[in-house]
Amino acid sequence: MLTSLFLAAVEAHGAVTGASEPGLIEKFGVEWRFVLFQGISFLILFGVLYKFFIKPTTATMEDRQQKIESGLKYAEEMKAQLATAQQESLTLIKNAQVESNKIIEEARKTAKDFADKIQKEAAERATDQMAKAQQAIELEHKKMLAESRSEIARLVVTTTERVLAKKLTEADRASYNETAAKELTNV
Amino acid sequence: MAANKKAQQLARQLFKLSLVDGLVSADRVSGVLGYLEKLQPAHPLAVLRAYQRFVTIELAKSQAVVEHAGVVSDSILQTIAASMTKKYGRAITASTRANPKLLAGLRVRVGDDVYESSVSGQLGTLAASV
Repeated sequence: MLTSLFLAAVEAHGAVTGASEPGLIEKFGVEWRFVLFQGISFLILFGVLYKFFIKPTTATMEDRQQKIESGLKYAEEMKAQLATAQQESLTLIKNAQVESNKIIEEARKTAKDFADKIQKEAAERATDQMAKAQQAIELEHKKMLAESRSEIARLVVTTTERVLAKKLTEADRASYNETAAKELTNV
Repeated sequence: MAANKKAQQLARQLFKLSLVDGLVSADRVSGVLGYLEKLQPAHPLAVLRAYQRFVTIELAKSQAVVEHAGVVSDSILQTIAASMTKKYGRAITASTRANPKLLAGLRVRVGDDVYESSVSGQLGTLAASV
């Protein structure tokens, strides 16, 4: 419809201009109708191509471009986050190392204190047991000496009594009795 | 238990009645025995035993038992009796009892007090001191 109108307008223009002398363009054989027709065809083709191919392709490319930019941006952010995370992890590792060294040092100190304490207690216990054993030995020795002395004294006394019972005469006893009487009366 | 305590008290009272000037009187003891035989108090056997114990203890206080090994002359006994009489402030008589275990020497016992000068005693002291 639109094309028919366009062709009619071109023919009318040609009728108006045909009355005059052919111009340079007519001399080269350029037909305005065909040119116009070609232009319109080109515009229609361009419109179709633009609507169904160029525009979707451009949209797709823009979309991809946005995605690529977004991806790059995301990658940059990730890189920054990774750097931050690495920094944080390094800090954490450093702190953990310091803390672990501190704990290890405290553990070593505690173990050393405990070992010293155990060693000291063992030494004290050994000394105490040695002293007790020494005391027990001394007591046993003294007891043995006392028992020996007592036994020897008992044997000496018993032997002396037996000897005196046999050897003392009545005169000796009478004399001793007189001496005893004097001693007892002077009490 | 209470009966025994009452018997002890009665025996002590009877014992006090048996003393004359701090010494046991034979007449008083006879009188006490006659009284007990006549009146028959409760638990007479317990009373008599306690009374006998009091009298024995009191008599032992006025008697010096001289244990000896060997001969002891009368002069020695008299000397000991006089010495003990003077020491305790009451009349004490001496009696002898042979004890060969003393070996030689004397042991004088007045009541609960013991005085000894004997070979056996000296040997015992020596054995105890070693």
